[in-house]
Amino acid sequence: MNALRRPFPVGPRGRLLLVFAVVGAISFSVLGLSLSGLLPATGAAGQFGDFFGAALHPAVDYQADWVPVGAPPFLQTVVRAMLETLLLAAAAMSLALWMAIPLALWTSESLWARQVRGANGRESRHAAGRVILPVLRVFIAGMRSVHELLWAVVLLAAFGDHEFLAVLAIAIPFSGTLAKVFSEMLDEAPTDSTSALAEAGLSPILCFVFGRLPRALPDMTAYSFYRFECAVRSSAVMGFFGFPTIGYYLKLSYENLHYREVWTWLYALIALVLVFEAWSARLRSRWIAR
Amino acid sequence: MSRLREIKRLRRAAPRSRFMHFSRYALVALVVAAWANPSRWPFQLLHGQRAENLRRFLDRELTPYPLRDGDWGAGDLFSWFADLFATRGARATLATLAISALAILLAAACAWTLAPFAARNLSTRRPVESLNSAPESRAWRLLRGGVFAIFIALRALPEYILAYLLIALLGPGTAWPAVLALAIHNTGILGRLSAESVENLEPGPLQALRYSGARRSDLIVAGVWPLSIGRWLTYFFYRFETCVRESTALGMLGIASLGYWISDAQANHYYDEVFFFVGLSGLIVVAADFASARARRSLRESD
Repeated sequence: MNALRRPFPVGPRGRLLLVFAVVGAISFSVLGLSLSGLLPATGAAGQFGDFFGAALHPAVDYQADWVPVGAPPFLQTVVRAMLETLLLAAAAMSLALWMAIPLALWTSESLWARQVRGANGRESRHAAGRVILPVLRVFIAGMRSVHELLWAVVLLAAFGDHEFLAVLAIAIPFSGTLAKVFSEMLDEAPTDSTSALAEAGLSPILCFVFGRLPRALPDMTAYSFYRFECAVRSSAVMGFFGFPTIGYYLKLSYENLHYREVWTWLYALIALVLVFEAWSARLRSRWIAR
Repeated sequence: MSRLREIKRLRRAAPRSRFMHFSRYALVALVVAAWANPSRWPFQLLHGQRAENLRRFLDRELTPYPLRDGDWGAGDLFSWFADLFATRGARATLATLAISALAILLAAACAWTLAPFAARNLSTRRPVESLNSAPESRAWRLLRGGVFAIFIALRALPEYILAYLLIALLGPGTAWPAVLALAIHNTGILGRLSAESVENLEPGPLQALRYSGARRSDLIVAGVWPLSIGRWLTYFFYRFETCVRESTALGMLGIASLGYWISDAQANHYYDEVFFFVGLSGLIVVAADFASARARRSLRESD
């Protein structure tokens, strides 16, 4: 019966698929794409073959004919760059966490919530919270909605070259994201211990610190590890701006058409990310399981 | 006093994992080593020439062009904004959104097709049948492991590097490198999340289909897709939002998104324009963020 009354027999899922198809077609035409654009560029067909052929035998030594005297062995450079990538990510993450934790505490609803004792027992918000919360939320949205590479452009223009700027460029958007997710985790943490402490007569702040925070902590730690993994990728990309991480060397090798070196850098980055991912997955499974 | 001693004793007796112990030291060592390098310290940032540069940057270069020479009106400023937006901003904003929409659609199509083959409950000889004693065939385990490994490998490389490599191979002047780079990375992420959600599906409905004679393809089309589409769409919108953010930056490689105009203005040292376009990119990311949060909330409520 119902199907007969519909103008055409398409359910909500079918409608969604239609919307997706239309959006895809519009995007395709807005970008002026053509399927022939997926073929290698004219004259680059040989390059295409060279590039993928090199995947099977990545370089273990410099591909250049001439290497400056005293240059370290190639593989040593690779290890050095992997370490730099990891260290930049570690510096950025430690700074990001340091900024994110106070922001997350201040922007969580539960810190400002006050139980109104009375007939209806509704929750209201602390007066200061009514001002601080929205302001800080806008601030956090600003931090995380600008991409780390765009932060790098702005910071490098303002200060000139400095390694701390790479740390800061990653740390700003990452701490914005961490703060947002942390505050949501704090608000969604189980409330059993909080209400038990409140029943025992503890002040709201103490309830928050000893009741809510410990319940959210495993999730927060697990999420920080996931973001650390993303920071490793971002720190590799920072090399494109001249910082000595994997991206820097990768760009150099690619511009010199040393494809076998490029594949060594790609494999180095993949290895770094995968090892880190395995480590963090194992840690996360421990925290979440508890 | 004895209670304190008891707590200490309990703490000593608590089971310890060597892995957690190692992880803790490794993390501390990483952070210490990261900050042990004095060239990473921020203390020189505001000294000497740098302070001078910063002052010039803030006082002069960041000021919108029509405001620099004293006599100005709000009208000049507005027409400067309107002009920047009309000539470049609007078009680049549209391109940024189109790149991310097309990329996430491609990624979702690949991921949703492949995901059932990476799920442990479906990619076996006898899908969703609760026969633990049934021997696992090696071919299915290989297929499952292979698809899962592809997902992991696709997301290991960052989008920016993928796009950089693709530009030289596909030639400049097309948005394909950005679309493909985003699609590849997100296929990995969506595929893995979707496969995990298939594994967590309630076995009941699927088993009912199976025992009434559904083949594997019937199971996927009539069972797995309809049951998991809600959860998959949540992931879809969450990744769309990060795609928009990422595609603003991909433009710096010479693809016509907002990033293109940022790097163009930077090359000309027009920092007021850099600031305008960075602000615009922030705004559209916030808008996409808001839209995706709305979509996810309505999905959650319709569950």
